[in-house]
Amino acid sequence: MLLSYHDIMDRALSGPYLNEEEWDLQKIAMTTARLVEKYKLTWDPGVIVPDDPGLVDAVFEAGLELAKEVGVYSRSTERIVEFEPGELEEGMRLMPQTLVMGEGKDARTLYARKIMDDRLPLVWAGSPGTPFPEELFLPSVLSWAQEPIVDMVTCGTLMHVDGREIRTADPIEIIATRRELQYMRQALRRVGRPGMGMLAAQSSVSELGDLAVAHPDYLRPCDSHLVPMLNELKLDHRNIARAVNSIEYGMRNASLPCVIVGGLGGDAPGSAVVNVASFIVSSLAFLADYHLCHPIHVRHIATSTRSVMWVESVVEQAFARNAPCIIVSDIYPKSGALTRELLYETAANAIAITVSGGHLEGCGSADGNLPNATGLEARLMGEVGHAVARQGMTLQEANALILKLLEKYEHVFDLPEGNPGVRFDQAYDMKTLRPIPEWRQMYEEVKAELKEMGLEALG
Amino acid sequence: MANEQEHLERIKQTIIDGDNQASVDAVKEALAAGVDPLPILNEGLMVGADIVGKKFESGEYFLPQLMLAGRALKAAMSVVEPVLKEKYVGDEAVERDTGIVVIATVQTDIHDIGKNIVASMLTASGFEVHDLGVDVPIKDIIARARDVKANIIGCSALLTTSMPFMRDLINLLEAMGEREHFKVMVGGASVTPEFAERIGADGTAPNAIQAVKLAKRLIREQREAQGAG
Ligand code: B12
Repeated sequence: MLLSYHDIMDRALSGPYLNEEEWDLQKIAMTTARLVEKYKLTWDPGVIVPDDPGLVDAVFEAGLELAKEVGVYSRSTERIVEFEPGELEEGMRLMPQTLVMGEGKDARTLYARKIMDDRLPLVWAGSPGTPFPEELFLPSVLSWAQEPIVDMVTCGTLMHVDGREIRTADPIEIIATRRELQYMRQALRRVGRPGMGMLAAQSSVSELGDLAVAHPDYLRPCDSHLVPMLNELKLDHRNIARAVNSIEYGMRNASLPCVIVGGLGGDAPGSAVVNVASFIVSSLAFLADYHLCHPIHVRHIATSTRSVMWVESVVEQAFARNAPCIIVSDIYPKSGALTRELLYETAANAIAITVSGGHLEGCGSADGNLPNATGLEARLMGEVGHAVARQGMTLQEANALILKLLEKYEHVFDLPEGNPGVRFDQAYDMKTLRPIPEWRQMYEEVKAELKEMGLEALG
Repeated sequence: MANEQEHLERIKQTIIDGDNQASVDAVKEALAAGVDPLPILNEGLMVGADIVGKKFESGEYFLPQLMLAGRALKAAMSVVEPVLKEKYVGDEAVERDTGIVVIATVQTDIHDIGKNIVASMLTASGFEVHDLGVDVPIKDIIARARDVKANIIGCSALLTTSMPFMRDLINLLEAMGEREHFKVMVGGASVTPEFAERIGADGTAPNAIQAVKLAKRLIREQREAQGAG
């Protein structure tokens, strides 16, 4: 029988006690290292998108073994939530294979993608969670919501409301999250797609804001919010409150484990194992309807680094082959608006995800840390994803193309200040909400280059 | 019998391997063999810690190795420190540029990866680190800093919406008349030097290596101020 929420909470109160450092080192780091040995998992930084079913199946097996062996840790009670044999498998079997997001004519159906799937990936546009000043919030959302290729939208977080600083878990968080949703709904109406699905309540850093917008005027049941997992394989009751709140309301839960590549799981193979385990566990513990794949690089953050793209690719392939479910994969490039590198990073990342079995979300340009994101890179993300599917690109072709693109942008990881580019309002005309000519031209040039490099189906 | 150089080499290696039992044994054996505690610290433990830090920065080592090295160093320090103090009591030349740090991710914020790396690097550089974890109320940070007589309070925040609590902490220290007792360093992806200055912090650093440098500088400043005062 599928676990109910009471079961998870009961186990969090009665499971074995363990101090957190022991969890990190003994349970996660040691077990993962042992499994990497046992399954002989290795990676070659020259192969970003492996075409190696044996490898991805072994990563899946190792991830399942990790989840079974350790369970998940409740930071709130310092106890381990353990799973009985068969429970995790059943949780995976029950993962939705399709999920309708949004409503009416704007509804779109997310589905469990396959490796080299020729169906188009869905395009979920926006810079998730990135702090935006209030005056840039609505224009930024409009900039990506207005793109016809976009299927669903997300947004940044509000830095201020009415000039007031926002503090987490303060009453103002409720105001900020409601304001965010007011802007989101307004944006959808303004672009003529009022029913488009959203991932929002990003301004809800604690659970307060999230609870305050579970209302059809704000987040509708056909929308989703995220339930973050703590690193690694940990939950806390305040984040679980988000999932619990949406059970009766019927809103979709997205699990968000941000596995650190180079963190407790060690190098890329161990991190992929931890990511697989995180998805498996959050199907039950977070009541996830779908998963957000967002590994991060321990020093560079960006998902466009070699090791992180490898993890994204292997994890998506592993689920596509062994336990199909809906995976939406985040693109967080190092570079920001009005830089060529942002476009190369976006393209490489979108290729890796699309060919491996993920849907696309982004871009959290400039590490998702600055309001230097625009609708234009979201458009390119979607166009590249569509082209990959349309031309039936193989894993090997994808890998070759990504390696060529890496040559064009990998230097940004050595820049001490990163490559943040410019703020939204310096890359877009604030009156017309169109990219300024230089930005538009860079995009045209990069697109032409991409076609030349082998993405023929790029329109 | 191992000579001094061999002892130091072995001590260094136990830190690089992150083996806390071996590091304690190696230090005990060296002391028993009459090796001076000062080279044990500076040429054994610290050199090992430095190598670990570099390996982490270059991507050869990952977080577990860093944490294990920090543990091994902490264990070894508990053996060597008392001997060192006894032997060199009052000796200015030995007065080191490390001290006691209380570090936490401030209230409402649960991002701890960066904070953990900074804490491990500080431990691995010889600081006594009290890591209070995440989502720690500022009054608890201050209370613990007073309890352990910390030299430095380190605050981490990754959210623009939790950064204001770092300013609250400094304001509270001032209101309590305790600002002079602690150096305050702040950090996290959105923390800029301008922000640190604006809220009256004593410094910030963009990564763990710089954070160690900053902490050492703050300790020196504090010791100089005390010397002068
Ligand atoms: C991983 C991650 C998570 C993980 C955190 C896991 C964990 N255990 O830490 C999870 C998934 C749980 C998470 C949750 C959330 N996150 Co988050 N997260 C990140 C991400 C991608 C990486 C952070 C990281 O670990 N970096 C790697 C480490 C090594 O770097 P670092 O932390 O900067 O630390 C270095 C330096 O800053 C410095 N340093 C750090 N601390 C200190 C302290 C001192 C004293 C000194 C001197 C130096 C120093 O040295 C460190 C080592 O080099 C960032 C993106 C980004 N650009 O940072 C977003 C980010 C910080 N998150 C963000 C958001 C919005 C959230 C959520 C609110 C999402 C949501 N809507 O629910 C929740 C917040 C929950 C909460 N209450 O805190 C936003 C913040 C926006 C804002 N308002 O400011 C960011 C910027 C990205 C984004 N666009 O979403 N997140």
